[in-house]
Amino acid sequence: MTQPRAVTCPSCGGSIEIRAAGYTVTLGCRYCGSVLDVAHEDVRLIKAYRRAVKNFAIAPGARGTLFDVEWEVIGALRRRSAESGDWQEFLLFNPYSGYRWLVLAGGEWQFGTMLLDRPENGPRSVSWRGGDYVRGDSETATTVTVLGEFYWKIARGDEARATAYTRGAEVLSCESTADETNWTQLIPLDDSAVSAAFAVERKFVGAPQRRARRNDTDDLPMMFLFALIALLAVGLVQELVSRPRVCTESTSEIIVGAPSFTTRIGTLEVRRAYQFVTISAISSNINNRWIDLDYSLVNRQTQQSIDAYGLIEYYTGTDSDGPWTEGSTSAETLIASVPRGTYDIYLDGGAHGWPNDPSVTVKQVKPDEWTVQTSADAENPWAPPEKVTVWFTACTGGFSWGMFWLIGFLLFAVPGAMLWWRHREDD
Amino acid sequence: MESLTCPSCGAALPVRDPGLPYSTCAYCQTLVRRAEGTVEAVGTVAVLPADVSPIQIGTTVNRDGIAATVVGRVRWGWSDGSWNEWFLRAADGRIFWLGEAMGMYMLTCEYPAVLDVPGIRNFAEGNPMARDCTVKAGGKWFTATDIKDAACLGSEGDLPFPTLPGWTMTNVDFRNAAGDALSVQRDAQGTTAWLGAWSDLAGLAPGNLRQIEGWTMPRALV
Repeated sequence: MTQPRAVTCPSCGGSIEIRAAGYTVTLGCRYCGSVLDVAHEDVRLIKAYRRAVKNFAIAPGARGTLFDVEWEVIGALRRRSAESGDWQEFLLFNPYSGYRWLVLAGGEWQFGTMLLDRPENGPRSVSWRGGDYVRGDSETATTVTVLGEFYWKIARGDEARATAYTRGAEVLSCESTADETNWTQLIPLDDSAVSAAFAVERKFVGAPQRRARRNDTDDLPMMFLFALIALLAVGLVQELVSRPRVCTESTSEIIVGAPSFTTRIGTLEVRRAYQFVTISAISSNINNRWIDLDYSLVNRQTQQSIDAYGLIEYYTGTDSDGPWTEGSTSAETLIASVPRGTYDIYLDGGAHGWPNDPSVTVKQVKPDEWTVQTSADAENPWAPPEKVTVWFTACTGGFSWGMFWLIGFLLFAVPGAMLWWRHREDD
Repeated sequence: MESLTCPSCGAALPVRDPGLPYSTCAYCQTLVRRAEGTVEAVGTVAVLPADVSPIQIGTTVNRDGIAATVVGRVRWGWSDGSWNEWFLRAADGRIFWLGEAMGMYMLTCEYPAVLDVPGIRNFAEGNPMARDCTVKAGGKWFTATDIKDAACLGSEGDLPFPTLPGWTMTNVDFRNAAGDALSVQRDAQGTTAWLGAWSDLAGLAPGNLRQIEGWTMPRALV
């Protein structure tokens, strides 16, 4: 009479010993995952599955001591809700102490005891043994997988309405089905206490998962992914919209310290209704000089002008921190939404010295020839004036990196802030 | 105490409770009816299915002024499971049932007064019991939570009714928020009502528990 009861899985033929004989009603076969009705001598197949259920933090059959009582894990469930995601529940059994629950949700463990005396209902809370438990969120918990033994009829897909009532770290969980309502007291359990008692799968030990809260934990990676996808889409659209790309190039020499002068860089045709025009200016031989670049795009038909501004400045020096440089020898100017048409691009440019302009005297010798005298070099007042060379490239199209990064910043701002906030909270 | 032998196999038939009419022979499963010093075999009881109950014949409980010893057990099966009911007798002759389900225990004593409640009288007359039916018993309100048609799966020891295969009953469990229990059972002999409370095993202050192979009895229960 006291021999342990063994059953044969009608689906896979595996032999399974029943640990809580006399109580167990449902069995999830550990070989094939099939759910069996073992309430009676003749074992009935409730639903056949072909794959054993794996990936539980604790394997059924494990024994361990919690609260001075030895428990055997006889059943394991994976359950799911839209609000909390997935979690695992383990049914603990001791023939002298009955059943308890071990719940693993969001990396945190709870120890559950079914209540015999039920809480009394209030409007926003319930009271149980003199304490008030504040009503929290309700969710529908669905049983996803079933492994091992259970003392009630259970199947994959079973649904229960679960409501949590909290008092500090303690939770009273009320689960209702069409047939019955069960109350369970859940108290937090240290990761180390569970690991000391049972062989916990390594990947579930001390998992730094955050307790699932409504709609956040799982969403953050998705928010980053969406932000990245949106940013790439913005870049692609910007690139496509900016085509076709045509360019004109020229070189100018600018006398440092001389009054600004005007020259034509080239001609561009804007073939779409609106296009970007990018003018890049590169100078290699400047030091402690700055070059003002005033551009004008003059429409040949309408003579209307679109103005833009660029600046090349490059400085070097040495101070108490050592040598330093500042600025760049190139400048890129982006002119947005230039209407269709043919444009002459004029430059009004001037180069200047820092901290002082060299003193320059300009004389017109012939109608198209100037002589320039600089007084910067007092030893050699007739030395040729300093000139800087600037290479210009003006193109239709062009990519607004500034706009791109601004959109990127806006897209990543919210998930980034959430990540930062959580990190700060963890510290 | 009188000494009897099984009329079927001749084994000794211990009489734990002379006031009870039925006893199951532990060796040959013969159900014996005793009356005024005579014994009569009335049939064969099914072999009890294996279980890991910590209760056995001879286990004692002590709770709420109830100090009693287990003298018999019947196992009931219903469509979705089965459970044990242990029959207890106190030294003063009072009788109790100890229901065992989900690793929890319901210790009750007979409470005939509730049979006069119209809802329960209606049930006793053979009508179905409405779920969520509320009754007052022992000054407390109860709600019917569980209605089961059960068949006897086997028995041992001394019992008040014949536990042959085919013996059936309808059981209605009432509960309340305080953990009190009311059980109403209807069988071929009539309807009885039992009032008590739910408890875990430790709450029964048990003695002489069964030693279950592979398990150490918690120190608090030894």
